[in-house]
Formats: sequence, C-alpha cells, structure tokens
Amino acid sequence: MKPALLALPALIFAAVVQAAEPTPLDRSMASQLADPARHRQPTVVALWSLDCSHCKKNLQILSDLAKKHRRLRVLTVAAEVATAEHQPLLTRFALSGPAYAYGNDSPESLAYALDSGWAGELPRTFLYDGKGGQRKVSGVLSAIDIERATGLR
Amino acid sequence: MIDVVRQCLPRAGSLVSVMVLASVVPVGQAADVMPAMRVAKATRPELGSSAIFAPDGSLLAVAKQGEHVMIYRSSDEGRTWSPPAVVNAQPEAISADGENRPKIAFAADGGLLVSWTHPFPKPNTGAIRLARADDGQNFSAPQTVHRDPAEITHRFESLLPLPDNRVILAWIDKRDLEAAKANKNAWRGAGIYAAVSTDGGRSFQPEYKLADHSCECCRVTSARDRDGAPLFMWRHVFEPNERDHALARLKSDGSVDSIQRATFERWKVDGCPHHGPSLAVDEHGVRHAVWFNQKDGEGRVHYGRWLPGDEIRIEGQRTVGGSRAAHADLAVAADKVLIAWKEFDGEGTQLRTLFSGDGGKSFVERTLAATDGASDQPRVIRHQARLFVFWRTAAESFRVFAQP
Repeated sequence: MKPALLALPALIFAAVVQAAEPTPLDRSMASQLADPARHRQPTVVALWSLDCSHCKKNLQILSDLAKKHRRLRVLTVAAEVATAEHQPLLTRFALSGPAYAYGNDSPESLAYALDSGWAGELPRTFLYDGKGGQRKVSGVLSAIDIERATGLR
Repeated sequence: MIDVVRQCLPRAGSLVSVMVLASVVPVGQAADVMPAMRVAKATRPELGSSAIFAPDGSLLAVAKQGEHVMIYRSSDEGRTWSPPAVVNAQPEAISADGENRPKIAFAADGGLLVSWTHPFPKPNTGAIRLARADDGQNFSAPQTVHRDPAEITHRFESLLPLPDNRVILAWIDKRDLEAAKANKNAWRGAGIYAAVSTDGGRSFQPEYKLADHSCECCRVTSARDRDGAPLFMWRHVFEPNERDHALARLKSDGSVDSIQRATFERWKVDGCPHHGPSLAVDEHGVRHAVWFNQKDGEGRVHYGRWLPGDEIRIEGQRTVGGSRAAHADLAVAADKVLIAWKEFDGEGTQLRTLFSGDGGKSFVERTLAATDGASDQPRVIRHQARLFVFWRTAAESFRVFAQP
C-alpha cells in the first residue's frame, strides 16, 4: 500500500517538473560550477549521493525553498557516476535545475575542482548570493541559513 | 584497450565470458569492465579490493568483476598474478566502490574466507555474504550471515577470524532505524550488528546487536586484542551529532565487554563522512589507529594509540599527511607501524606512507607512487615480520610495495 501512496505525488510532479538526466561532469565544468563570478543570481550547488540519507533531507529543504523563492537556482551534483536512480530521485524533490553527476575524470580530480577544501563528506552545499559572495558548508542546512547566505533574507 | 573489450563483451554474468575476459585483459583492469549498456556513459570505477598473505607466503587479492568476486594469486609478492578464479559461481550484485570492498581472511583451521556486501536493488540496502574454501581453492556457495531478510541496510561488514576457529563479522545495520521510522520516532544514525561462527565460517549463530547509533556509511574495522579478544571500531554518532569513533571489545562468546568513545574531535555534522577508521594491535597490546575527523573546521587524517587497559587514553596523536590526505590504513609488526593513505595534489593522486620502527613514537614519511586516474583506498598488509602496501589503481591495476 505504501509504495502506491508514495508513487502518486511523484507522478503528479513528473507531469509538472521532470528533473533532467544528470550531465556528466568534467574538471572544467566543475571549476565553473564553483566559480562565484558565474552565479549572477541566488544559487545553490548541492552535492549529494544516493548513499547519503542526510543528503535527501538537504534536498527536501532546497526543494521547499526553490518553491518559495523563484529567484533561487538549485543545481545538483551527484558525487558519483550517474545511475538510473538519480533522475527519479531529483524528480521526487521537484528539483528541475541543472543536474550533474561525476563523469569520467577521476573522482578525486572532480572533488578538487569543485572544492579543494572538501574531503568528500556529504551533503556539501555551495551557497552563492549572485554578487560574488559564497559559502561552502557540510551537513544538512537550515532554510534560514540558506536564505541568509544566498541573500534571500 | 578497455573500451574495445567492453564493446566486444556480451552482458556480464556468464562464467565463461568472465574467464575469457580475464585472460585477455591485464589483471585488475579486467574487473572494471561493465555491461555494454554503460558504454556511452561514464563508468563507475568499482575498484574496491583486499589482499592477504597466505601462510605459505603467496599473496591473495579479491576484487569485483561484474557479478563475481574474483580471487587472484601471486607467488612473487605482487609482481605477477595468476588468472583469477571465481569465488561466487552464481552471479550476484557486489559492492566494491568507495568504502565498500570484498574482504579476505583465513580461519584458524586454514579455511579461506571471502566476504562482501550484496546490494539489493533499493539504494543503501544489502546483505552480508560469506563464502568459504576448505582447501583454499574451491569455494562453497556463499551464505548470508544474518537471519534478517529485510531489504534494508546490512552493509560495510568487517571480517575477523579468531584463534579458536570462531569467525565474527560486524556490520552497519539499519533495522532499528527502520523500526523507529515506521513508528515515526527520531533515531540517531544506524546500528552495529554482529554474527558469530564457531566452526570457521561454515555456519553462523543468529546475529545480535553490538551498538545503537553508529554512523551510516563509513567502513567498520576490526583487530584482535593482545589476548585474542575481538575488537571492532567504527564511526559513531555521539549525542547530539558528534561523529567520533567507538571501540568495542567483545568477550569470547561475542557479547560486548566494553564499548568506549575512542576519539574526541567532536565533529558535529548531520552528514555522511564516507571515511572509516583502521585499527591494529601490536604485541605489547598497544592499539594503533588511523581515522578521519574534522577538527577546528579542518578535515584531517589522524593517528593515535591507546595503551592496554580499560581506560581510553590517546597517546601520540598526530595528523597524517596534508590537508587532502584521505582513506588511511595501517598495520603493525613487532615495533614497526606502517600507515598508508592517498592524497590528491591538484593533478594526480599520490600514495604516501608514514613508517615507524619504534612503535609509533617517531615516523618517516615517503611517497610511494602516484596515479592520474581513479584509485582504490590503499591497504597495509603483513607477512610475518614484513609490511606491505597494496594499492589498486584504474590505470596500473594491483600494485604492491614492500616496506624496506
């Protein structure tokens, strides 16, 4: 019974917000994603993985915020090679922003290009206010912290 | 070459195709070959491997190849390897990336044991599997070491044989978390369960809980204490959300003797570090460990040792490597302590070591190797009085470095 109940909202969202299939990330794209000068509006880059239960809590908070603030862009990066499970999960959270997953470059080089101060813990979230300001934070964030760091509050 | 082979390869699964493949592709690289459907996309480098020296001095390694765990043998300390043999004749999914890898050990009666996590289709779920070869060559069909059949997390097992032919496995288990979720109760982290075999891994008694509130997805480590008692160490979630490590000492029947907090960096994060510890006990009973923790906002690998006795007091704690040091392992032999880790330098991944000849009081640092591509976590292994580093890379396959 429970799976059917869960599937119903997912189907409704699928009709409205179909998450993109993750684009394979290379080192140069990773550096660009992490460059505050390239983000001209409030933006969140959310690193996550299927393994990481805390990441799903973080994605839910971001999903709620994206509905509340239309100016907020939410980009996602799965810190692992794309599998068939990524897109449905992003669709479940109605996150329609650009989605990436690790490509063929070595995981260490991609991690370094994204954030040389990051040791692989997840979730890892980059917060940009669109004016050059940035914060990089590990762990589940609060909505208020995200709003403050992105200049929405 | 790999791409060519990948395109020629029929869907993985048949024993014949696996064996043919192994004969044309260098050892180690063969294990990366994925089904043809993945050709257009990036392939996940599932490089997780383990190695052990057999009593006769031959080196054995286990790695994943498609839906099989394969075993490789070297009679010259890793310079050349035999074509691999299959551990699980019937194909099944196998976890061998990140903190996951097949493990290999000898039971006290000489039986060869290989364990792995078999993931179910649902993410983050799996079962702990173990196969035994009485003669070191021919494996029995693998068995699941726990009775709980639920499609939940039973993953990240640690395999520990004991001198009296018992074998203990402990793993991260989410049955209590799932029960709490079903009742809409909050639950901190996951849990650690264990199963004991009294016949060298042929059969297992019902599993039991070692601890509530472990971290969710960091590898678990184990070692034998000086008196032979089992020790397990894992990343724990201490209240409210401090991801330090717990050290458990078990009694001879497998029940808990003590569980203590063993590290004190107090990394508060609602997240998944993906960075488990490693533990070794020397002949004086000193417990040496490496672990990763964030301290004062900086994530670093740490080394420390605990003196024998009931009280946990860390001696000689120091950081290991630079700011990008990761996934350290260690082993000891008499007064030698060898720590190996990998460290990305902006271009490639270096394999580095700290070696101590005086029980961890002083260390000398070396760089052993580097690779441009993906790599497994390094493993430090022992053969009698000598220590070695075993490292599998996507480009160079298995590499073995003897500590001079």
